[in-house]
Amino acid sequence: MSQLTLFRLLLTYEWWHFRAARGLVLLTGLLLATGLYGIYYGTTEIERQRQHLATLPELTHHNVAELQQKFPDSADAGEIGYYHTTYAAHHPDAWAALSLGQRDVNPYYVKLRLLGLQAQLYATDNVNPVKSLSGNFDLAFVLVYLLPLLIIALSFNLLSSEREQGLLPLLLAQPVRPALLVGAKLAFRMGVVLGLAWLLSAIGMGWAGVPLDGRVLLWLVFVTAYALFWFGAVLVVTALQRSSAVNAVALVGTWLLLVVLIPGLLNLGVAAARPVPQGLALTIKQREEIHAGWDRPKAQTMNRFFAHYPQWRDTATIRERFVWRWYYAFQHLGDVSVEPLAAAYARGLQQRFVLVEQLNVLSPAINAQTSLNALAGTDLPTHLQFQSSARAYHDSLRAYYYPFLFRQVPFTHADYAREPTHSFTSQPELPTAYRGLGKLLLTVAGTFALGLVLMRRRAISPR
Amino acid sequence: MIRSIAHKEFVSTLRDRRFLVLSALVLALLLLATLVGRRSHQALQQERALAQHTVNDQFQNQPARHPHRVAHYGSFAFRPKSGLSLLDAGVDSFTGAVVFLEAHHQNSVNFSQAQESGSLLRFGETTVAFVLQLLVPLLIIFLCFGAFGEEHETGTLKLLLSQGVTLRQVAWGKIRGYGQAVALVVAPALALAATLLFVGAEYAAGPDLLARLLLFVVGYAVYFFLIIVGSVVVSAWQRDSRTALVTLLGFWMLGGVILPKATANLGATLYPAITKAQMDTEVHAEAQKGMNGHDPQDQRSAALKEALLKKYGVDSEEKLPVSVGGLVMRESEEYSSRVYQQHFAALNATYERQNAISTWAGLLNPYQAIRPLSMGLAGSDFAHYVHFQEAAEAYRYGLVQRLNMLQAGMGYGDKERRLGAETWRQLPVFNYQLPTLAWALPHLLLPVLSLLLWAVGLSWLGLRLISKTSIV
Repeated sequence: MSQLTLFRLLLTYEWWHFRAARGLVLLTGLLLATGLYGIYYGTTEIERQRQHLATLPELTHHNVAELQQKFPDSADAGEIGYYHTTYAAHHPDAWAALSLGQRDVNPYYVKLRLLGLQAQLYATDNVNPVKSLSGNFDLAFVLVYLLPLLIIALSFNLLSSEREQGLLPLLLAQPVRPALLVGAKLAFRMGVVLGLAWLLSAIGMGWAGVPLDGRVLLWLVFVTAYALFWFGAVLVVTALQRSSAVNAVALVGTWLLLVVLIPGLLNLGVAAARPVPQGLALTIKQREEIHAGWDRPKAQTMNRFFAHYPQWRDTATIRERFVWRWYYAFQHLGDVSVEPLAAAYARGLQQRFVLVEQLNVLSPAINAQTSLNALAGTDLPTHLQFQSSARAYHDSLRAYYYPFLFRQVPFTHADYAREPTHSFTSQPELPTAYRGLGKLLLTVAGTFALGLVLMRRRAISPR
Repeated sequence: MIRSIAHKEFVSTLRDRRFLVLSALVLALLLLATLVGRRSHQALQQERALAQHTVNDQFQNQPARHPHRVAHYGSFAFRPKSGLSLLDAGVDSFTGAVVFLEAHHQNSVNFSQAQESGSLLRFGETTVAFVLQLLVPLLIIFLCFGAFGEEHETGTLKLLLSQGVTLRQVAWGKIRGYGQAVALVVAPALALAATLLFVGAEYAAGPDLLARLLLFVVGYAVYFFLIIVGSVVVSAWQRDSRTALVTLLGFWMLGGVILPKATANLGATLYPAITKAQMDTEVHAEAQKGMNGHDPQDQRSAALKEALLKKYGVDSEEKLPVSVGGLVMRESEEYSSRVYQQHFAALNATYERQNAISTWAGLLNPYQAIRPLSMGLAGSDFAHYVHFQEAAEAYRYGLVQRLNMLQAGMGYGDKERRLGAETWRQLPVFNYQLPTLAWALPHLLLPVLSLLLWAVGLSWLGLRLISKTSIV
C-alpha cells in the first residue's frame, strides 16, 4: 500500500470513529451553534449602533427646529452656539460585527456644542457595566476563546486513548509509520476544526456584509494560523506520550495560561508600567481656566485669544458687560490651557496600547484578539483617531461661527444648513494586524518544530 | 470513620506533588492579586480623594460671584472605592470615576478604566475574586476528579465498604478532607487581605466592613463546598476518572466562560437600552413642553410670575422683594429634575431587567450566583454604582436649588450684583457615604438563595445518587 492510500485509509477510519463518538459530534455542533450566536450577536449589536447613529441627525434636526421657533428671525450666533447641539459620529466598519473590540465601552458619538471641547470630549454613553464586565459574545470570542477548547477536546487523547485501550500495539504492528499515524489523526482533526472555523468566518462575513478586499484573506489566514498554533501545542503534548488525563490537564493548563492568566497579569503589569496621565486633572483644570475667564479683565482674555487668532484682532473693542465673542474666546482658552494635558492623556493611552502590542507575543490569544480588533478597527487606537477627528470637527465649527461672532453678522435660518457636519468611519489598523500575523506565524513554526523534535527524539511506544 | 477518611484524604492530598504545585500556584496568584489589588486600590483612592479635596477647596474659595455663575461653575463628584473592592473590583473598572455637577444638566460619569485599557482588560482582571471564583474551582476539580474512580481502579473501595462503612460516609469523609486541603490554600490569602484591610487606615475599617468581609468568606466557603460536593458526585457518577475529569472541565467552561457571557449578551439583546443622546433630548423636550404635553415651560414661568405679583400685592417685577429669575430657575430645575429622574429610573429598570437574566441563571450556574453576591458584598456591583449616581444627583440638585434660592433672595436686578466670597464657604461639599451592608443585602437575596439551594440540593440529591451507585 502506498503511503498516500494508507493516509486516506487512516483518515476514513478517523471519520468513522468521529461519527461514532456522539460526544465529540455534539461538541462540534455546540461550537457551531455558539459561533452562529456570536455572529448573530455581533451583527445585531453593530446594527443597533448604526440605528442609533442614524438618529443623531434627526436629533440635531429637532434641535434646529426648536431654535428656529425660538428665534423666528435672525439670531445672535452666540445664542445658537450655546443652545445648538450637533454630534460627531463614529461609524463602524462592516468588520466590527465580527470583532466588536472596545466599541461597547468607548462612546461611538460625541455630543458637541460650541463650548470648550475638553469638557465634552470624554462624555460617555449609557452603558450597562454588568454587560461590559461579561464582555462581548462575538465571533472573535468564539474563535479566540472557544475554538482552542474544541481542539483540545478533539485531540487531547490523540494517541493516549489508543494506548489506554490497548489498540496502539495492534496499530503499530501494521505497516504504518507512527509519524503517519499521528499525521493522519492530526490532519483529520485540523480538517474538522478549520472547516468549522472557515465556515463560521464565511457565514459571519456574509452576514456582516464585509467588502471583499484583502482583509478577507487576512482574517482567514489569521484564524487558520491561530488554530494551527493550538494543533502545534497538541503535537507537543502528544509527543510527550503521557496518559490522557495528564494530556488533558496539560492542554487545559496551557489554555488557562495563555487565554486567562497571561492577559490578566499583563494587564496589571501594563497598568503599572504605563500609568496614564490623569484625565481627572485635565477636567478640573479646564473648568478652572474657563470660569476664571469670567473674572479676568476682558482685554487680557481677548489679547490671549488674538495671539492664537490674529485675524480677529481688528474687531471692535469690547465695552459691553457681556458679549458672546468674549465668552467663546475664554471657552477656547480653557481648551488651550489643557492642550498639553490632553495630548499627554491621548499619548499615554496610545503608549499603553503599543506596549500591549509589543508584549502580545507572550500569548497567541492576546495577539489574536488585538489583531482581529485591529483588522476590524474596533480597538483603542481607532477610538483615539475618532476623538482627534471630533476635535477637528469642533475646530471647524468654531471656524464657521467665529465670523458671525466677530463680525457681528446675524445668524439666519439658512445658516443652520451650512454648518459643517461630521462623519468618521473606523479604519482598520492593518500594520498592527500584519505584525500580529508575523508573530503568530513564528509562534506556530516554533511550536510545530518543538513537537517534531520531541517526536523524533522518542519513538512512539505502544504501551 | 468519616474523620479518618477525611484525614486520609487530607494527608494524601498534601503528599500529592501535583496538588502542591497547583495550590502553590493558586496561593501565589491570590497573594499577588491581593497585593497588586491593594496598590491599584490605593492609587485610585488617593487620586480621587485628592481630586475631590481640590474641587471642594476650589468651590469654597471662589471670589464674589453671582449664584447662577456658581451653579454653572458647579462641582465634581468623585466616586470613592469601597474597602472590599480591593478583593473584588466587580463592575468598577467599567464605570466612570467622576461626574461633573452643574445647573440644568445631568452629566455622565466619565473616565472609566476600561476606556483607558484597550481590549486587554476584556480578558478579565486578575483580582482575588477572579482567582476564588474560577481558579480555585479548577483546583478543586483537579483534586477531586479521581475521588471514586481511583479507589475503584485500585480496588480499595471494596475494602473500605467491607468494614461496614456506607458509601455516603466515604463520600462525606472525602468531602471533608478535600475541604480542609482547599481551606489550607485559600485561608492564608484571605487572612492577608483581612490584615491589609484592617491595618490600613484608609479603609475606614468598622463593623460594616467586618460584617461584609465575614459574609464574603462565608459565601465563598459555601461556594467551595458545593463545588467539592459536585466534583465528588461527578467522580462517583462517571466511574472512569478520565471521563469524570473531562466532564468536570466541560462544566467549568460552560459555567465559568460561556454561560455568563451568553446570558449577559442575551439580556442586552432582549431589553435594548436608550442612548444618552436620545434620553437627553427626551428629557429636554418634556421639560420644555411639559410632561404629557401639559403646562409647557413658558406657561409655567408666566403663571409663577403672576402668582408672585398677586402674593406680594404689587403690579410689576421691579417692586417684588424676590428675584423672579431665581424662582423661575428653581421651578424649572425642580421640573426638569423630576423628568430626568423618571427617565433615569426607566433606564436603570432596563439595565436591571438585562441583569436579571444573569442573576436568575445563578439557579443553573453557581458561578453566576457567587459573582453577584461577591461584588455586592464588596460594594462594587451595579446597585452600588447606581447608589453613587443617585447621591451625586441628589447633591447636585440640592446645591443648585440652594443657589437658586440665594439668587431669589437678592431681589430685582440680581444680575447686576454678586454675593461675597464667604457665601460659598457655607454651602455643603459633596461627601459620599458608602451604603451599609443592610442596604446592600436585599439586592443579594437571589444569589444567596441560589447558592444555598445548590449546596443543599447537591448534598442531598448528589449523595443519594452516590449511595445508590453499584460498587462492583
